[in-house]
Amino acid sequence: MNILHNASRRLFLRQSAAMTAVVGSAAPLALNLAALGSAAAQSASDYRAIVCLFLYGGNDSFNMVLPTDAASWSAYTTTRTQAPDPIALLAAGTLPNTAAAAGSPARLGGILPISPLTPQGRSFALHPLLGAVQKLFDTDKRLAILPNVGPLIMPTTKAQYGLDSFPKPLRLFSHNDQQNTWQALGPEGTTRGWGGRIGDMLAASNSRALFTAITAGGNAVFLDGDVVRQYGVSTTGAVPLGLDANGRLYGSTDVGTALQRIVTSTRTSHPFDADLAAVAQRAISAEQVLRTALRAPSDPLFGTAPASGAYSAANDPKLRYLNPLTGLDTANGLAQQFQVVARLVDAGLRGASGAKRQVFFVSLGGFDTHDVQNRNQAVLMAQLAQGLKYFDTTLSGLGALDQVTTFTASDFGRTFTSNGDGTDHGWGSHHFVMGGAVKGGNLYGAFPTLGLKNASNNNFDSSADQLGNGSLLPKTSVDQLGATLANWFGITPADALTIFPNLANFPIEQRNLGFFA
Amino acid sequence: MTDTQPHRGTGSFPWLTSVAFAALLTACGGGSSSDSSSGSAQLAAVLDTAKPAGTTAGTVTDRPATRYDAARFLTQATFGPNDYDTELVMKLGYGAWIDRQFALPATSHRAYWEAADAAIRAANPASKGANQDQVWESFWGQAANGQDQLRLRVAYALSEIFVISAVDGNVGNQPRALADWLDMLGNQGFTTYRELLESVGLHPLMGLYLSWLRNQKADQVTGRHPDQNFARESMQLFSVGVVKLNPDGTQNLSTGSAVETYGPGDVAGLANVYTGYSWACGARNTSCFLNGSSGGVADPDRYIKPMVPYAQYHSTEAKTFLGTTIPASTTADPAGDLKIAFDTLAAHPNTAPFISQQLIQRLVTSNPSPAYVRDVAAVFANNGNGVRGDLKAVVKAILTHPEARVQSNTEGKLREPVLRLSAYLRAFAHKSDTGSFKVGNTDAVATSLGQTPLRSPSVFNFYRPGYVPPGTATAAAGLVAPEMQLVNETSVSGWVNYMRDNLSSGIGQFNGTVNGVVLNRRDLQRDWSAEMALATSPVDLVKSVTDRLLYGLASDDLRGLIAGAITKITIPALNAAGTNQAAVDAAKRARVNAALLLTLASPEFLTQK
Repeated sequence: MNILHNASRRLFLRQSAAMTAVVGSAAPLALNLAALGSAAAQSASDYRAIVCLFLYGGNDSFNMVLPTDAASWSAYTTTRTQAPDPIALLAAGTLPNTAAAAGSPARLGGILPISPLTPQGRSFALHPLLGAVQKLFDTDKRLAILPNVGPLIMPTTKAQYGLDSFPKPLRLFSHNDQQNTWQALGPEGTTRGWGGRIGDMLAASNSRALFTAITAGGNAVFLDGDVVRQYGVSTTGAVPLGLDANGRLYGSTDVGTALQRIVTSTRTSHPFDADLAAVAQRAISAEQVLRTALRAPSDPLFGTAPASGAYSAANDPKLRYLNPLTGLDTANGLAQQFQVVARLVDAGLRGASGAKRQVFFVSLGGFDTHDVQNRNQAVLMAQLAQGLKYFDTTLSGLGALDQVTTFTASDFGRTFTSNGDGTDHGWGSHHFVMGGAVKGGNLYGAFPTLGLKNASNNNFDSSADQLGNGSLLPKTSVDQLGATLANWFGITPADALTIFPNLANFPIEQRNLGFFA
Repeated sequence: MTDTQPHRGTGSFPWLTSVAFAALLTACGGGSSSDSSSGSAQLAAVLDTAKPAGTTAGTVTDRPATRYDAARFLTQATFGPNDYDTELVMKLGYGAWIDRQFALPATSHRAYWEAADAAIRAANPASKGANQDQVWESFWGQAANGQDQLRLRVAYALSEIFVISAVDGNVGNQPRALADWLDMLGNQGFTTYRELLESVGLHPLMGLYLSWLRNQKADQVTGRHPDQNFARESMQLFSVGVVKLNPDGTQNLSTGSAVETYGPGDVAGLANVYTGYSWACGARNTSCFLNGSSGGVADPDRYIKPMVPYAQYHSTEAKTFLGTTIPASTTADPAGDLKIAFDTLAAHPNTAPFISQQLIQRLVTSNPSPAYVRDVAAVFANNGNGVRGDLKAVVKAILTHPEARVQSNTEGKLREPVLRLSAYLRAFAHKSDTGSFKVGNTDAVATSLGQTPLRSPSVFNFYRPGYVPPGTATAAAGLVAPEMQLVNETSVSGWVNYMRDNLSSGIGQFNGTVNGVVLNRRDLQRDWSAEMALATSPVDLVKSVTDRLLYGLASDDLRGLIAGAITKITIPALNAAGTNQAAVDAAKRARVNAALLLTLASPEFLTQK
């Protein structure tokens, strides 16, 4: 796919000129900054942001969103009650047993019922530690559930899945490849992510293209487009490169100037050197803007000013969660990522960063719960809930709820069956989408049937939605999810077809999942 | 590691005559103070016993033409060139240097950790003893000063192919076993791939990390299935990879498109093999299998002893994977099945190019030509004596290949952060005040390396071998740049800031008092007097610094930029009474720091060419 939208072609030309100046001739920094900050089309008058929250490792969403109608619940408890360490959560209303082992279902207590507006004839609940999500869903109506999402080439039935000839995503069940497929719609080696492609089309709205796609959660192919490159921000904000606030290095402005020149230019023809110089150039350019554009993390909008001494995100009570294993208040790295995203959103809203359309990436790792799932997933759910709550609250304080939409993604779902104390790699999984623009409190997409395994093997003839070991065959594709977000962001349905290569394979009325008001 | 000796550099990088070399060694104490012999006596002994260089079969000149060439070779084969090994390679040639390295004994990380643990407990009986920090101490102490650099460097490369990570609490909470893991990679890295695979696979930390320790056979009635984690990753990452390869490492496209090496059925079949292994324990009962203890007694070495079979938990079903079928049986044979599985993985035609290519990438270049991979994979397949997977032969083939010995503007690799710091520590030797090389955890991206050995975020390592940074010159050139996956705006700034502070303050843990001496400084310090003596001659200082770090690859342009900048740091004239000596020294030191940092920050240094 190499179609350059008009807007992104303009951007490409502009950036190419800038990069030539940067890499080729080691032009003075000021010139480069001017190039990056050149006037751009003002096609978007408001501010909007999309935030991808990637749950690395493959979240077991069978234990995140649970159908509690009798048949589903029976299949669930039967399948997941396995020695030596059953991973079946307990029914709603079960009181926590404080004498039970930390992280165990008994210690966590029962699952938390939710009331979708359209319950599809069933009833549902959330993991016991997702109380904050329960409130966002039921009360605030700012969070929706997307059941059974995963990469698909086209709508696929179980019978079709069994056909070798039927088009299916490559390298299913493989971590790196499915991470890549969620983010870039192809296995490892596919290098343009759909967040970046959306950015390609809308970066012209931003007077500084540099801040179109930003990761606080590590490098992610999701954010790289044809033209747009991701900017990696620290959770503390932009990090100065070597120089103090007065441009000095070891007390010398001359040395400081030399450092900037050396790191942003090349004296060889090795492509690695050119790429390193380009990253350094972006680091310096971004920091020069963000050092004044971002408000302090200790600002009450984002954090808590310390009684004395320097601000520490790790010690900020707003960025800590209750660890269910230790019972201790603990620093939440996800909330720290959300904090810097919120500061960047604030800068966008105030016009301080020149960004009107931004795609962000944050992440939480550790979801590959092959073993000790009860304990490990409990910690992750607690972090997830606190992180989402913090972000929602902070956006509310900024008056930005309607302008920011956050969605979860993950490598894959997991097996319905247990391996004794955990689960293995699957495919489809349930996800959250959060924001003031989201029609929350509901499910978008058919919730899958959870059945019982066959008597003679681990296939699930009892469910049209379940494959071997009960893994889910997705009903909603990543392309549909992405296109819905893209439409809200201002991408036309026609342009969405160029970003999402499989979208055309889905019926036109299903290309937008309808979770935005 | 009991290293407390300083390793002073000499002033400018001395492109020494051989006559001068023995004197140098006397002055700088040889490559490692763990050697009790003096440097000159040691080198003399080495040279007496070394085979003549250049006599082994090969297509490259075995003897480096220049010290630059020798230093470039050592950048690939060690944690970084220093004077001692540079001179040794000059004297011995590549092949004999490698052979000598093969013969050097390993130094045990676990023994270091245990000694540190005992010392900590002796000093404070209430203490919990040593932790991960002592693993990093041993790692950095050996990386900086270990004699057996090739073994250490290969072990580090293997740690990024056969990945376990202390980020996982199951692994991270066992620092003694983590040190043992490093020892295992160092020892088994010079055996065969098949032996290495078995040691990797049966190490309890791998059992824990990829959750196959205490993996149980399926329960057909309830539907419990064997854990598939190790089954999948042992194929995807440790042996065959996801698609069929040609012997030169390129994808086999003979059917018109890539062919997947295995599918869900192979994973399930191999997962059945990987059942019934758990802790070394006094009995083979349920308690031992699940908890590692029987009657309340656990083997204190259960985290380092290879996992053992428990037949009652092993599957007797038929197991099919990668074209091999183990028929159903009435008697469980976990060890026999495991042997068949590991034999199958080791013998698979993909394994030679798959592992060879990654070892080339870890040591020499991100983008080896198909011919380079083919040549190394051929040695992997047969070392010339009918042995498959001879890792010493593979390493030697990698380092002596013509493609490794020629510098070009597309070959080479990005230095990952750990190898940047190690190169600096080898080129500019530091002394540890505590003798323990307390570099510590270097995870922090914005303020440190953004990388700590054995602390990858997942089994997929810090970066992927096929990573292409999108939208870059690298991508446009059709190249991969695995280590670039660690590069972003925060990490490039973090590296410069970390080294800026390391240069001005030293490296690692801040010590108040050590052995009764008030120090109030970081643990790793260097006597910079030799460099400071050059500070009044910026051109010489810059040549000295860039020669050590860039072995001749610093352009006049780069050296001119650096020299021009540091010249602007004014060194005051020493007054008659000498009362401004401190200001003079501070200015000289600032020039030294600036010359170093500008070199370490340059793309020239960051890309190992």
